[in-house]
Amino acid sequence: MAAIRALLPVLLAVLPFGIVYGAVAVQEGLTILQAMGFSATIFAGASQLAALQLMGIGAPIWSVLLTVFALNFRHVLYSASLSRHLGTFSGPQKALAFFLLVDPLFGAAEARAATRRLTPAYYLTYGVLMYVGWQLATLAGASFGELIEDPDAFGLDFVLPVYFLGLVMGFRKRGLFYPVAGTSLVVSVVVYWLAGPPWHVSFGGLAGIAVAAVIGPQKRVDEVAREDKAGGAS
Amino acid sequence: MNGEALLSDTGWSIGSIWFVMLAAGALTYLTRFGGHILISLLGTIPPRASAALDAVPAAVMTAIVAPVLVSGDWPERVAIVVCLILSLRLPLIAVVVIGTAMVAGARALGL
Repeated sequence: MAAIRALLPVLLAVLPFGIVYGAVAVQEGLTILQAMGFSATIFAGASQLAALQLMGIGAPIWSVLLTVFALNFRHVLYSASLSRHLGTFSGPQKALAFFLLVDPLFGAAEARAATRRLTPAYYLTYGVLMYVGWQLATLAGASFGELIEDPDAFGLDFVLPVYFLGLVMGFRKRGLFYPVAGTSLVVSVVVYWLAGPPWHVSFGGLAGIAVAAVIGPQKRVDEVAREDKAGGAS
Repeated sequence: MNGEALLSDTGWSIGSIWFVMLAAGALTYLTRFGGHILISLLGTIPPRASAALDAVPAAVMTAIVAPVLVSGDWPERVAIVVCLILSLRLPLIAVVVIGTAMVAGARALGL
C-alpha cells in the first residue's frame, strides 16, 4: 500500500530515536512500563527526551509540563493546516488522526493531499504503524538500557545534549534561526550561571521566542512544514 | 535498581511520574487538535504569532543544550563543538553516535 511504501524509509530514520529514548529513560530511573507510558501518551521524541532531562535534574513538575507543551506547540500549526484535508474523516477518525499527528505524518499527509484526496485509510495506516513502531522501539531500547551497568562509561549522559544540538542544527535554514538560537544560547548560559537549572530552559527559550515575535514573519508556514518532513519524529 | 535511586534523589515520586506522563500526554494532544479548533474559530493564525510558534523548537532546544558549554568537563565541551560542525554534514543519528562514542572514549582513556 502507498502508506506503507511512504512510511518505511521514515521508520528506519525514526526507530533508532525510539531505541535511544528507551535506553536513556531507564538510565534516568524510569521502569520499562513508565518509559513506554511516556511513548504511549506523548508520542513525540524530542519532548519525551526533554522531560527526561528535566526530571533528571530535579526540575519541578510545572516546568516539565511547560517545556513539553512549548516543544509540542508546533503541532498547533500542523493541525490548523491539516484540518483542511480531513473532509472525508468521521468524528472519531478525526480524533484519532490528531492524536497520531507527528512531524513525518504531517509531511506525508500534506504531500498526499497536494496530489489527491487524503483518505482515512492512507492517513491512519501510516499513523497507526508509526505509533506501534515507536512503542516497540521504546521497548527494545528500555530492555537494552536495563542491561547497562555503568551508563556514564558509555557516554549515555551525553546522548541528550548532542541529540538536541543535532535537532537544533536541523532548523538552521529557517528564516530567524540565528537570531533566535543565538539569543536562547546567551540567555540560557547567563541564567544557568545566575539562577541554575531548570530556569535556563524557560528563560532561554522564551527569550528566543520573543526575538522571533519582535522581528516578525519571514517564511510561510508550508515551507517550514516541508523542512520538518526531514526532521523525523521530533 | 540504580535508576530508581536517581529519581528519588531528585524528589520524583512514582505518583508524580505517572501524573506528568498523563498531563504531558493530554497537553500534547491539546496542541495536536488545537490548531483545528483555532482555525474553525478564527479562520487563520496571525503572522506574528505564527513566527513565534515557528521559533519555539529551536529556542527551547538551544536553551536545553547551552549549559553543556559551561557545566561539562573538557571532553564534553570539545565533543559538543565537534558535533556542532559534524551536524552541518551528517544525519542526526550519526552525530549522536559519534558524539557519544567520543565522550565514552575520552572517559575510557581517563581524560
